[in-house]
Amino acid sequence: MAYSKRGLHIASPSYIVALLYLLTNLVLYFIPETKFSRPVITFAVFLTDVVAISLAIYFTQGMQTDFYLIYFLIIFIASVGQNIRGSIFIAIVASVLYGWLLVRSNPGISILDSAILIRVPFLFIVSLISIYWATTMRRQLKSKQELEEFAHKLEDKVARITAKETELRRYSETVINSVASGVIAVKGDGTITTVNPEAARVLGTTQDNLVDRKIGTVQGLDTLWQKMKKAIDNNKPFERLQVSITNAEDKLVPLGLSVSPMTSSDARFTGCVAILRDLSEVKALEQKLKHAERLSYLGKMASWVAHEIRNPLTAIDGFSQLLTHTSDKEKMKTFSTEIHKGTMRINHIIEDILTFARTKTQVKSGAVNLSKLMKEITANISGAKIFMKGDEDRIVTGEDESLKSLFLNIIHNSIDAMDKDPKLVIEFRESNKWVVTEFTDNGKGISKDDLKNLFTPFFTTKSRGTGLGLAIVKKIVDDHNGKLEIDSEEGKGTTCRVFLPKARKS
Amino acid sequence: MTTYQPMKNLVNEGERMKKRILVCDDEESIRLLLNESLQDTYEVVEAANGRDALRLATKEHFDLIIMDIKMPSVHGLEAIERIRQRSDNIPIVICSAYRAMEDDIIVKTSNVAAFLVKPIDIKALKAKIFELIGD
Repeated sequence: MAYSKRGLHIASPSYIVALLYLLTNLVLYFIPETKFSRPVITFAVFLTDVVAISLAIYFTQGMQTDFYLIYFLIIFIASVGQNIRGSIFIAIVASVLYGWLLVRSNPGISILDSAILIRVPFLFIVSLISIYWATTMRRQLKSKQELEEFAHKLEDKVARITAKETELRRYSETVINSVASGVIAVKGDGTITTVNPEAARVLGTTQDNLVDRKIGTVQGLDTLWQKMKKAIDNNKPFERLQVSITNAEDKLVPLGLSVSPMTSSDARFTGCVAILRDLSEVKALEQKLKHAERLSYLGKMASWVAHEIRNPLTAIDGFSQLLTHTSDKEKMKTFSTEIHKGTMRINHIIEDILTFARTKTQVKSGAVNLSKLMKEITANISGAKIFMKGDEDRIVTGEDESLKSLFLNIIHNSIDAMDKDPKLVIEFRESNKWVVTEFTDNGKGISKDDLKNLFTPFFTTKSRGTGLGLAIVKKIVDDHNGKLEIDSEEGKGTTCRVFLPKARKS
Repeated sequence: MTTYQPMKNLVNEGERMKKRILVCDDEESIRLLLNESLQDTYEVVEAANGRDALRLATKEHFDLIIMDIKMPSVHGLEAIERIRQRSDNIPIVICSAYRAMEDDIIVKTSNVAAFLVKPIDIKALKAKIFELIGD
């Protein structure tokens, strides 16, 4: 009996089985996943299916019924949806139930009956084949997924690295562009690779105009290229150089320059980087400061000149007035001597101002024999015992008139500082570079406060001083690129050392 | 002869009665000039710096002081202030080569009779002194 002749009636067991089957499936379907994991639920669904089919077979009473085929369907689906253990278990349950049904409906059936021998193992075979097929499929699917995932990851990584690289480049560009100093980098052959806006501004052109050009061909940059080339060739940086360039706008720009060679294992990156600093404003400020200093000197000088010249002027004017009212020969002589003294004093003041005001360019240099010069000077000096040491030929580069004025000022200062038993020792020494002339007196010395103002023009502690003597000394020493040292102890005396550059032997 | 005697005494007494002026200046020429200009009418005493001037002004009597400002040891203005602490009424004439603004302030507070800027006119100086103390 293949099918029930009655068909499916509502109250028939088959109908109830179908209904039960539907309900259990629905119930199982709606069990929340949080209570049981999905494999457990699907396992339960398949188990229910197997039981339902067994019941259906049971109620249709037919070993020959085609419901048996549905086992295959379930086993197949179970092996696709379940793991091996799950689907084998379903197959076992199905074969046990089916076997039991066979035995029950055909009592005394032999185990070797084709119905058992073929149909039951067939369930397992279908199960195994479908498991194999499903596993293979799953594996393929998995490897495909993995491959896709890997591709995705790779894409992500590439995108991230690219973004990072772009960001890094933008960052370093921003850094270079934000530097307040000009930055120019060139390759070993002088091709400009990087220019920041400040460098372009200083050079009076644009960044685009400079990049990829040979630096030596850009107007005004030849000097810069020479320095850079030297740095590359010697592999040595140059720092704090001062150069002036005429830029693309024909403007003379004073520059502070530091040049460093770039070295790397990759030849593409070797070259040189230069940092430029526009010194125009600094120079202008310096100029302003010098101007202000000059004005302040001028102010001081005006009051000083007024004071210094009006005193002898008073004497000259006064004595000449007196001269007209006297007939006494002696008095006339005194008055005219005083007038002469006043004139000489004014002349001395004018001499000092001129020496002080003389600029360096007017100093003519030649070889001067210091010890010979000193002997000439000291021959006319009275007022102190002068001792000379080491007075063999000492030749320096300088101008004899200035040096005479320098030494006279120092000697007069010493003599003015000494009261009793005035003694001045002048000693010459030589080092590699310098001829040192050392003046040591036994005068009253200089107080610490006065030492600070020693070289300030118009500063004096003497009643008759012009306040220019040591300012002149300092100026002459500076003009000769020399050095000056003064050691002093109040009450004991002062030592003054003048360092002048030794003449080069020709 | 006898009539001359008292006359001579009178002259001597007149010489003794000469008013005394203290001249304080660090420039020797200026001291000499002032001395030569004034010695006919007044007895002139010289001081080369402020310290000497102070010492003399404390010890002796003077009718007038002529003072320079820029001087070593004690500065002229300091000397004037210290003299003023002792004697309020002695006329002081400043005779300086340069008149700075800060000098003015002290001149005002120290009751200085006159401020003459060098080069001075001898006649004007004499007239000023005569106006202040007579002869």
